[in-house]
Amino acid sequence: MKQLIRLTINDRAHEVAVDPNTTLVDLLRYHLGLTGTKKGCDLGDCGACTVLMDGKAVNSCLVLAVQANGRTVQTIEGLETAAGLHPLQQAFIEKGAIQCGFCSSGMILSAKELLDGTPHPQEPEIRRAISGNLCRCTGYQKIIEAIKDVAR
Amino acid sequence: MILPKFEFHEPRSVAEACDLMARHRGKARPLAGGTDLLVNMKKKVLSPGHLVSLGRIPELSRLERSNGTLWVGAGVTVSDIAASEAVAKAAGALGQGARGLGTPLIRNLATIGGNIGSARPAADLPPSLLVYGAEIVLVGTSGERRLPIAAFFKGPGLTAAREDEIITAIVLEVPQGYSGGGYLNLGVRKAQDCNIVNVASFLELDEKAERIRTARIALGSVGPTPLRSLKAEKRLVGEKPGERLFEQAAEAATRDCTPILDFRGSAEYRRTMVGVLTRRTLAMALAEARSRT
Repeated sequence: MKQLIRLTINDRAHEVAVDPNTTLVDLLRYHLGLTGTKKGCDLGDCGACTVLMDGKAVNSCLVLAVQANGRTVQTIEGLETAAGLHPLQQAFIEKGAIQCGFCSSGMILSAKELLDGTPHPQEPEIRRAISGNLCRCTGYQKIIEAIKDVAR
Repeated sequence: MILPKFEFHEPRSVAEACDLMARHRGKARPLAGGTDLLVNMKKKVLSPGHLVSLGRIPELSRLERSNGTLWVGAGVTVSDIAASEAVAKAAGALGQGARGLGTPLIRNLATIGGNIGSARPAADLPPSLLVYGAEIVLVGTSGERRLPIAAFFKGPGLTAAREDEIITAIVLEVPQGYSGGGYLNLGVRKAQDCNIVNVASFLELDEKAERIRTARIALGSVGPTPLRSLKAEKRLVGEKPGERLFEQAAEAATRDCTPILDFRGSAEYRRTMVGVLTRRTLAMALAEARSRT
């Protein structure tokens, strides 16, 4: 039986009816069309589906949509403002940190959680913060440089 | 990957959760962080008919130290344990275990109750809890009981919890005097892997900080449940701590485990690494104990 849930996604209130076995990543991508959140392994290994839930970076493939009821979710689509791209998004472009792009949403959101709490992290903290996000282009160095650039 | 269908329950109290577990006896699973259960459901290893989510029971999120006791609610996330100053001061090896678990993304979801309740032999938190002598608080429809953590694990995925019981907290007496702990985990990578071997050690020195009064060592990933190494502990008690002694205790620990051979490593490699991690965690425990003099 479908359950009615209310949640805030990128500052917009949503009311959706979902089956209990719908994951948050599927709600975002297939019900709401927010395909910026990627679905890779679907088992919590790759981090492509990373979103911020109540400010914490989580694997949205391991959260049931019903568990997100009443919570605040931020996806990559919610980072750009009227003033332009988020500084992390801009730095990823300028530093060549985007190759195929599949890990970028997750990388940027993991980095955002870090910088929201620690505005000037050291490199080991940056590496730890993105340790749950796999980049199969292996472009880690540029990604770390981009995050460092914003953290300066 | 499709999750098998289930009925979803979201109790607001422990009593309500136990009632649901009892009503759907044998068909219900408690859902905490979901980082283990949902993966197993996607892989069709498990397909419970009912999920009883514990995420909206506020009392499960309590983390506090009072009167020499550290109380960690079962719903406290691994990232909160990793960041907790109370945990770092009272039970440093538990904080080290939390920092070694999974990835930041997993740590933000996973809970201490789930890490214990899933009873994985390679789990990161149980060895530290064993060496601190933690107790598991279980609540069921007939009331509350406490079990020493050593009596809780029965085998891979198997625990002493009854079908209507849920873990509500993990409690430990904060070690006093010249004592310290250490935890290390060895995997193929530094993050996002299953441990090959993980070890926690605890040492308490006598009032002159000269000889070892109490020693506890727990070995993970090298048996069906985390194991205490009684041989190594016996080697240490009453002795003056030092590199040579720790070598001997480490060697004893390698004879106290039953590692398996799999794609992550051979049994011999695991056994050797039990020795290395035992020696290193003993050195960590000693350093912390001496820092209190």
